[in-house]
This record gives sequence, C-alpha cells and structure tokens, in this order.
Amino acid sequence: MSQVAQAAPHRERLWDAVVAGDEYAGVAVVQEALTAGLDAEAVLLDVIAPVQEKVGEEWAADRIGVAVEHAATAVNERVVAAVAHRAAGGADRAPRGRVTVGCVDGEWHAFPSRLVAEVLRLRGWRVDYLGGQTPTPHLIAHLHHTDPQAVLLSGSLPTRLPAAHTAITACQAVGVPVLAGGRAFGRDGEHARALGADAWAPDARGAADVLARGLPRPAPAAVRQVVDDLPHLADQEYTLVVHSRGQLVKQTLVDLEDRFPAVRSYSDVQRERTAEDVAHIVDFLACALYVDDPEVFSAFLTWTAGILEARGVPARSLSAGLDLLAARLHDFPRASRLLDEGSRALAARPGDLAAGPGTRV
Amino acid sequence: MTGYFPAEFSVEITEHPASCTVRIAGELDYDTSDELVEAVVGHLRGRPHTGEVRLDFTGLTWIDSSGLSALLMIHRATSALGAALRLDNRPGFLDHRLRLTDILDHLTGPVTPAGLSAPGEDGDQSRAGAR
Amino acid sequence: MGRAPGVPLLVCAFRGSPQSPRDVAAHVGAAWGEAPCPVLVVDRHGALVRLNRAARSLLPRACDGDRLDGIAPAWLSDAHRHVVEGTPGAPSGPLTGAIDERVFEAHPSPSTDGDVVWWLVDDTDRRRAEQALHHAQERSGVLAEASSRLLSTLNVPRCMEETAAMAAEHLAEAAVLVAPPHGRRHTLTYARRGGPVSQVTWKIDPFSVHGLSEALQGFPPVPARWIDPHGIPDWLLPEGFTEPPGSVIIAPLPGHGVPAGALVLLRSGTERTFSDGEEAFARLFAARAGAALSAARLYTEQAAITATLMRELLPPTLERVHGVEYAAGYRPAKDHERVGGDFYDFHPGADPDQETVVVLGDVAGKGLDAAVLTGKIRNTLHALLPLAADHQQVLTLLNGALLTSHHARFATLVLASVRRQGGHVRARLTSAGHLPPLIVRTNGEVEQVPTRGTLVGALPAVSAQTVEATLAPGETCLLYTDGITEARGGPLGDEFFGEARLRRALAECAGMPAEAVVERVQMLAAQWLGGGRHDDMAVLAISAPKNGPLSVVGGEPSQIRRSR
Repeated sequence: MSQVAQAAPHRERLWDAVVAGDEYAGVAVVQEALTAGLDAEAVLLDVIAPVQEKVGEEWAADRIGVAVEHAATAVNERVVAAVAHRAAGGADRAPRGRVTVGCVDGEWHAFPSRLVAEVLRLRGWRVDYLGGQTPTPHLIAHLHHTDPQAVLLSGSLPTRLPAAHTAITACQAVGVPVLAGGRAFGRDGEHARALGADAWAPDARGAADVLARGLPRPAPAAVRQVVDDLPHLADQEYTLVVHSRGQLVKQTLVDLEDRFPAVRSYSDVQRERTAEDVAHIVDFLACALYVDDPEVFSAFLTWTAGILEARGVPARSLSAGLDLLAARLHDFPRASRLLDEGSRALAARPGDLAAGPGTRV
Repeated sequence: MTGYFPAEFSVEITEHPASCTVRIAGELDYDTSDELVEAVVGHLRGRPHTGEVRLDFTGLTWIDSSGLSALLMIHRATSALGAALRLDNRPGFLDHRLRLTDILDHLTGPVTPAGLSAPGEDGDQSRAGAR
Repeated sequence: MGRAPGVPLLVCAFRGSPQSPRDVAAHVGAAWGEAPCPVLVVDRHGALVRLNRAARSLLPRACDGDRLDGIAPAWLSDAHRHVVEGTPGAPSGPLTGAIDERVFEAHPSPSTDGDVVWWLVDDTDRRRAEQALHHAQERSGVLAEASSRLLSTLNVPRCMEETAAMAAEHLAEAAVLVAPPHGRRHTLTYARRGGPVSQVTWKIDPFSVHGLSEALQGFPPVPARWIDPHGIPDWLLPEGFTEPPGSVIIAPLPGHGVPAGALVLLRSGTERTFSDGEEAFARLFAARAGAALSAARLYTEQAAITATLMRELLPPTLERVHGVEYAAGYRPAKDHERVGGDFYDFHPGADPDQETVVVLGDVAGKGLDAAVLTGKIRNTLHALLPLAADHQQVLTLLNGALLTSHHARFATLVLASVRRQGGHVRARLTSAGHLPPLIVRTNGEVEQVPTRGTLVGALPAVSAQTVEATLAPGETCLLYTDGITEARGGPLGDEFFGEARLRRALAECAGMPAEAVVERVQMLAAQWLGGGRHDDMAVLAISAPKNGPLSVVGGEPSQIRRSR
C-alpha cells in the first residue's frame, strides 16, 4: 500500500481530534501513524496538511466556527511539534546547507511554512524558521547574520503581494535567492514570477526538490525598483486606490444607503461588517492593480460570494458594492476594467464553493 | 497607508493677574509631550508670582501615556513652586485615563511644598521640578 | 580590390595629385623624401624601388633593390603580394601591423606601371591611448561592480568570498584573502578563476611569507617585485592551482584603523608577470574590499552586542505550567525594533501548589529607552517574588525603586498570581493603573475584572485592590496593553479598535486554548491596523485547559458548538 493511501485512516482520526480541540488525541494519532510505518514526511504532508486544509474549507462552508478553527490550528501546531520532536532524534547527520523559512510581512497563516520548515529539516537542511508575521527588516537582518543559501517565502493572502514583492527584492539585494510558495503566488506561481522570485514551488515536496537542485545566487548588483518588475504601476492607479482606501469605503457606504434605504436601519455591528466587506473589495482591487491580474480580483469575489451565501447573506450586496466603486473610479481605466470583469465573474458564478484566496474574516 | 494625519498640536499660555492658562490643542503624545513640558516649565521659571496654573484641554484630541507623563512633570514643577494645578475642560478620554491610572486626585490635590517625597529620595526633593 | 578606402589627410598632403610614384619622385623630389611618415615604393615583383628617409630609419637594413619580404615583416610583404596579384578576399579595412615596437597602418596606392607606393602611418600612440582608455573603463567597471557586490552583504564570510572571487576573475589567476587572526587562527578564502570559492580556518604562520605579515600588521605594502614567487607556501595556493606561481601581489586591505586582512594575487610562471599598473590597481581594489569588509565586521560586532544586551529585554516564551495554559504575543511599535515599552514576564511556581506569577505592563515612551525601563521593572519584580502573596506590598516596593526626579516615566501593569485547584484555575489579579483584565466565560460572556490601582514610578505612594477570579475549564483571562485597543485603522482608516471590538472578538474565543486566543487578538488588531503606524502591542492569556492533562479523549464536539 502506498504511503498516501496508508495515510487516509490516520487523516480521519486526526480530523476528529483537532475538531474536538484535543491535543493529546491528535498527538496519539500521529504517533500511531509513525509506529505503523508511515514516514515522518508523509505524516506531515499526507496526514496533517490535508487536515489543516480541511479546517479552512469547513470554516468557509460555515460548518465550524472561528473558535474551532483556531483551536484546531493550535492542536495541529502541537501535533507537528510532536512529529518534529520524534524525528529529530533519528535524523541522519548530513547537513545539506542552511536555509531560512519565513512568511510575508503581515501574513498570519504560518502553518504551511511550518510544514515546509519541518520537511526540509527531515531532508537534512539546517533550517532557521522565522514564523508568521515577520517584519521584512528582521528577515533581512537575519540574512546578513546567517547568509543562507536561500529564503523560502510563504504567502497565502494575495493582499500581501506588494509586501512580498518588497521582501523578494530586499532578499535578492543582499544576494540571497528567494523561493516563493503558497496560495498567494498563484496556482502556477504566476505572481511569484511577476514579482521576480528566483523560483516557485507548489508545495513542500516541490520546494525541497527545488532546493536539492540548487538555486543560483542573484547578482546582488542588480537591485531593482518595483516598477522595473511591474511597469504598469507607473499609471499610479494602485497608489491612488491605496491612499484613498478609507475615503472610498466611506463614500461607498454613503452611496449604499442612498441606493438601499434598508442599509440605513443597519445596527452598528452590521454597518461595520458592511464597511469591512467594502474595504476587503478595495484591498483586493488594489492587489489586482498591483499585479495587474483580473483573476486575483474575480477569484476573491466568487470566493467571498460563496462565504456570504454559506452564511445566508445574498451575494447581491457584493455586486452593488462593485457598481458603486466603479462609479467612483471611472477615471481609472485599469480599475474600471477589473471591476467590470469582477461583476461578470460574479454573474457567471456556478455557485460552488471552490477553494479561493484565503481571508479569515 | 491609512491616510490618517493627526491634528496640529499647539500650546498657548496666557498670564492673568493671579493665574495662568495653558491651552492645549491636538494630540498630546510621545511626539508632542516634551514640547508641552518645556513650554510650561520654561514659562513658570520666569513668573513673578505663584498663582494657580490651569491647563485647558478644550482642544485636546488625544492623549497617550507619554502625555500623562508630561502632566506629572508639570505637576512636579507647579508643586515645587507652591502653585496649584487645575485641569479644566477634560474630554472623556482624558478623564478615563486619569481615573484608570488613579492620578487625578494627585494632580489636582492641595499643594504640598515638595512635589516628590518618596522615602530615601531626600536629596532629590529640593531639585524636583526645578530641572 | 582591397585598397584602403581613404588615405588619411596627412598622407594625402604629401602624396600630391600625381598617381605615379616615379612622378612623385620627379615632381616633389626632396619634399617626398622629407615626408615624416615612411613611404616605400615596391615593384610588382616585390623589390624595393625607393624608400624615403623615414622609411630608411624604420628599416635601417633596407637598400633599393632589396626584396620586401627580406626586410619587412610578413604582414606587409603578404599585403603587397595581395595588392599586386589582386587576390580576392583581401581585408577591406586598413592594413595594420607591427614593425619593431610600433604599430603602423599601411595604405597602398598602385600606380599605372605596376609599382605600389606604401604609405605607412604610425598608429602606436592612438592604439596605446585607446588601450589605456579601455583599461581605465574596464577597471572603473570592476571597481563599480566591486562596490555594489561587496556593499550588498553585511555578512563577513560572504564578503570575503565575494572579494576573493572578484579578484580571481578580474585581477589574477587566483586570489587568496587572509583575514586577521582570531587567536592564532586565520580564515583563508581561496578563489581560482573559473573554479569554486572555498574557505578554511587554520593556524598559519604569516611571517613565513614576505609581505604577508606586513600587510596584516598594517605596514606599507611590499612591492610585488620584492616578493619571491618561489617562496609562496603550498597553503597559500588554492586547490587546482598546480603551476608554480610566477608573480605575486600582496595587497593590504585597509580597515577602520586596523587592517581588515590581506589579499594575495597569484599568476603562474607561464603567464605574464604583474605590471606596475596592475599592482596599483590591485591596491585600489583592495582598498574598496577593505572598506566593505570593515563595514560588515562592524555591523556583525554591533549586531552581536545588541543581541547580547537585548536578550534580557526580549519577552520570554510562555508555556503550559502546572495544568494552566499561558501564551503571550508582542509586537513593538517599530518594525525594525524587537523591544519597546510593553512587557510581560513569567515566573512558574516551583510546584503545582505554588502560584505562578505573571505580569504584563506598559511604560510611557517607546523604543530602547522604554525597553531599558521595562528591564528594570522585570528585574525588580523578579527580586520581589517572595513577597508575591501581597501584591500591594510588591507594588509599593516597586514604586519606590522606580521613583526618580529626572523624569516621570511611569509604568502601568497587571500582576497575576495563578494556581490550579481541581479543574479550575484561581487567579489573584491586581491592576496598577493598567487596563483591567478581561475574562471570557465558556458561554461567550466577557467580564471585566474589577481591579484598580495607582500607576507605579511617579507618585510618592500607591494603592491597589487585588481581585480574585476563577476560571472554569475552557475559560481565559486576557491581559493586554492599550496598543491593542488604540490600534487606529479599520475599514474607514481612522477609527480605534476599541474595547467594544476587543470584547466582541473575545466572545468568539470562548473555549479556545490560550495560544489561539492570543493569535486571534493579535491577528484582528494587525488587520485593523492595515499598514498604519501603531504603538507597542502586548497580549497575554491565561487559560484553564478544557482537557485536563490526564484526559486523553476529552472535549466532545457538542461542548464546542455550545461555546461558539
């Protein structure tokens, strides 16, 4: 039986344990899996990773709440630690080199990067794991200190792509190549390429393979400005939308009240949720302007529509928000095009809940 | 990125026959509190009398812990001179902070000859507030 | 026909209009003979018909009637044959070649009788000037590359590798960078052109190489011509450098007042030796490398000092102790700093019956100044731990220790003494002018702990009330600083996160482990901020675990649903 097939029953039992918030049961499941002959990498990637993925999907479908989601993630973290602890004793001492694993500044989903770090350790790399929410200046100071062979930069939130770009160019400027990974960089790594990353990998195994092949150092002399990679930014639409974010949200709320009198009777909390939704739309619009990719914006809209409908909120409000923003931004040709394509994507939605850009609301 | 810019900070001191008023407007925080202390303490040094000092917070938009620290320094200065301190027109957020930290009574209480009278700090007493 | 497309003006001036060289001789006579450039008239068979004075001094052995191939270099006699025979494919540009030390362009003018007049234009100086310019451009290119490559890294070993690699690429066949000693050991970085760069640290005797110890001690450099290449020991030769060295430059790397190392450049005996110009350039390169290396070394030392001093100020790691979960998170106001004015500390009880003491607080101010004061508070509190049964007394003593006349930089804090009793957790909580802790009940209700007291460090006397709280399994007590509630941002960009939002967020955290609560609060505050500036932010959670350490299969899903 293949390791992947062997992993299935353990996966189900681990799911039960993490949803129950039971760390002890979770650790017991992976200990048994290891004892049953599953190797540590398979336990991390074929048992734990799919369970964590399911946590996100179940939350999106409103089958578990925020509390369970966080508790499950915390349990999974400890389960990973248990696997890592057990594997650490048996690892053969063949140091392959040193790498740094970190998240994009502002990224809270550290779990995938943690798995990558542990897999690389299992494969004999010396790994400095910086965790989530690493300010880029700390990352660069760490690179000066340790001079690793590569940085693995993990990102799941597309809205952090501009921050990812800053990190990529900063790492390369000190002569360290960047291997980007995670959902934010696109299904085929298209955003990783657009932002000038030295390499991209779809998952932890892919990342380990890229490292094993070796990454050449970038020429440190070739320091770039963001517009060198993304010449479309010269039109200033991204900058202007980001600068006027608060203003845009306020105006859109006023416009919403004008158009839908029912909005006037919203409670403060409802009003704030609406404001947050509009702010999210503006954030993703800005991100799509940054990478000049309508897919980023459309994927967010269809995903959000799914989230809203799973919670009994009609997705009509999203379309209305797009219309109002389009009226405010009619002088911005790229933004107008994105809003237009977004509206069409919403209209053409098949109505299923595909995995989309991860936003924890 | 949020496009938030604080209101301009200003200090305006007016001398009356038996008191002086310090009008504070804008945000009293880490960036502006030194300015307030220097302005008030500098003014008090040149004053011929020891009438009460009234801080008027009508225009205050925000205060943080550094701002509270500035009020404590001003209190030391007024106490050392034997002048009473009054905190007028306090906005709600200021009142909340003063009560939370339990220093309202201290700042506005009756004047004691020395601002600071902690045990073991005798040598410092005479200098307190006169820095 | 490969005639030069345009005879230079200088030549034309002497050539005059007539086409026949014999006519030239006849008409111009002495002037032709006096032409400053060498002129040779050669017949179709390759015999010299006539030479002018300049040509005679260039080719002193030549006489009229000599064969051209006997007295001139092959490039000229071959060219003559091509011109006479009209060989196709002859070069189209001006013919150039060397005669003795000088370089000439040769311009043929065939005449009607079959003779060819060869005008030789001396091109040596222009060539030299061009070559010098090319070298200068190449060198400034190398220096520019050196600067950007070396300044991009502040990592010392990396900087040494780059230096050696670039030296081997541009200045010599191989280069070895000898770093100043660490004790008696030196780090040596070897690079060979086209080969890998390697680094070793071992004991060497720099005095065994003339010029090396001088360079490492900061004495003036020993000129290359005084260094005996045969005296270079094997340890100074990179792997793969098999030929015996033929010439050596040892250039000191000048540092910030102390030498930053020495750069040894090697060329094997089969290659040409280093010229004076190359030696001078090597020094220039070494000066750049020395400056970059010194900057990297200085940064590394400073970073190490900072790290050492900072270690005491960094927040501690919290964990589950004696059946109670603790977790905390910290984010300084400035992203490039690691410490600030918020702090927390953690002192586990010696055994499960002893209280674990935690504290979370905030000193007025930001950055390192504030952090130093947090260090003082943490140290003082550590010393006062034996008195922790009486929070009021601890705060009074702490207040006295912090009072100073120089500033009114106070602190606000919450002290918590925590112990597990049965399935519940009991906490004695005391606020010294700090935001009161919040408790999240299993039913999602959020309560404020009604403790209050005076801030510490500014007033002569302080007072405070201690409140005892009990946490049932799954309940959490949250201590936090105002950086959380005063996070400014949100969808409209200018609102405070505020206590109401914090309470709403906590209501969703019922039943979550401490770690998850901290993560959730930090995440919401960070999202609220967006990219806006913020104050220091600290959160600390104390939770009664839902599953006791002995229950292996606890926590049915129904319980979780209820707590949502």
